[in-house]
Amino acid sequence: MRSEQETNRAIQRYSDTVRRICMIHLKNYADTEDIFQTVFLKYVLSPVSFENEEHERAWFIRVTTNACKDLIKSFFRSRTVSIDELAPQAADMPPDNRHVLEAVLSLPLKYRQAVYLHYYEGYTAPEIGKILRKNVNTVYTLLNRAKQMLREKLGGDAYGE
Amino acid sequence: MENNIIKDTFDRIHAEESLKSGTKEFLAVKTAKAHRHRTAQKLLPALICVLLIFMGFGGYKLYFTETSVISIDINPSVELGVNRFNKVISLEGYNEDGRALAASLDIQFMDYENALEKIFSSSDVAEYLSEGEIMSVTVVSCGAGGGQSGNIEEYVRKYTEGSGSTYCYSATQEEVEGAHECGLSYGKYMAFLKLKSLSPDTTPQDVQDMTMREIRDLISSLTDGAASGEITSGGQGNGHGSENSSGNGGHRHGRDENK
Repeated sequence: MRSEQETNRAIQRYSDTVRRICMIHLKNYADTEDIFQTVFLKYVLSPVSFENEEHERAWFIRVTTNACKDLIKSFFRSRTVSIDELAPQAADMPPDNRHVLEAVLSLPLKYRQAVYLHYYEGYTAPEIGKILRKNVNTVYTLLNRAKQMLREKLGGDAYGE
Repeated sequence: MENNIIKDTFDRIHAEESLKSGTKEFLAVKTAKAHRHRTAQKLLPALICVLLIFMGFGGYKLYFTETSVISIDINPSVELGVNRFNKVISLEGYNEDGRALAASLDIQFMDYENALEKIFSSSDVAEYLSEGEIMSVTVVSCGAGGGQSGNIEEYVRKYTEGSGSTYCYSATQEEVEGAHECGLSYGKYMAFLKLKSLSPDTTPQDVQDMTMREIRDLISSLTDGAASGEITSGGQGNGHGSENSSGNGGHRHGRDENK
């Protein structure tokens, strides 16, 4: 079991990452709280020894993604919510950022995941394939399709590799 | 629109402080429970080990504590330690012949009845007795072994009944406590005490290599062939010197029953 000091450090370092992944997957704040508790409790009890920060970050992304997917599977979730409910911080964003966020969050989940991991976390298609347990070609397809949809929603043609 | 705007947008998303503090509180409760559970889990095997050690140590001590000692003296002097389960847990010779006899016997952990039968029927003992020697069997009770000592004495008396050359005595541990310091077996020490009461100059060394027959004859001579019946009958006739000290705790040295 990890120490309190180690756990607090991880919360400080990875909370934002976990929060963003929750936003990609989930539709309400209560579920986000559940995921935070699940992910960090798993971290506290995990015997995994991380080789470096990259390894640790990848662990958090994978565990949070899986926890979100499990939560989604366990409930019937068709309720749509406004972006303000989904990400209260969006209200304080400049209009451009807010539009982008709305556009990304309006994509189907599989595209949201790919967009977040590629454009924000900087993972390549093979790395995303490993995290999401998807074929690399499928990831390429998802990314291309997501770019196309974002282009349609936001205009412009700058969503290239 | 740049790709960077996606990164910039997500960069603006942060975990709320309430989310972090709520998670910390949740983990504090959970880990305290897990810690208590783990502590109990860790302690349980240790407690079981301690219990087993105590049980093992207690059992060991119970098994390897002598409750009676059987001292067999002819010239060879040997002592058998018997535990509360009637098993022979020690066998020791108290003179050269005794050590040789002890080395030739494989009676460790036998029931005392089988062990005594083996000793009484051994060729060495038979040889000594055929040469006119006498055998003294002294049963010493240790602590709470009184009942057991009585049973052993009863067994010896029955087994050797009619042999005419075996005498059985009983004693308490207090009576014979100086025996081993003198290098004497309990049985020979009792004979020594009797001899010393008649001849105060006698030392343990004087009797150490004497046969029980010789000691007995010496005591007989010192009591002037007394008609008291003590020792003088010499045990070589029909005497089956069975004695019982229970009650007064004294050693009735060689008072033959003259059946």
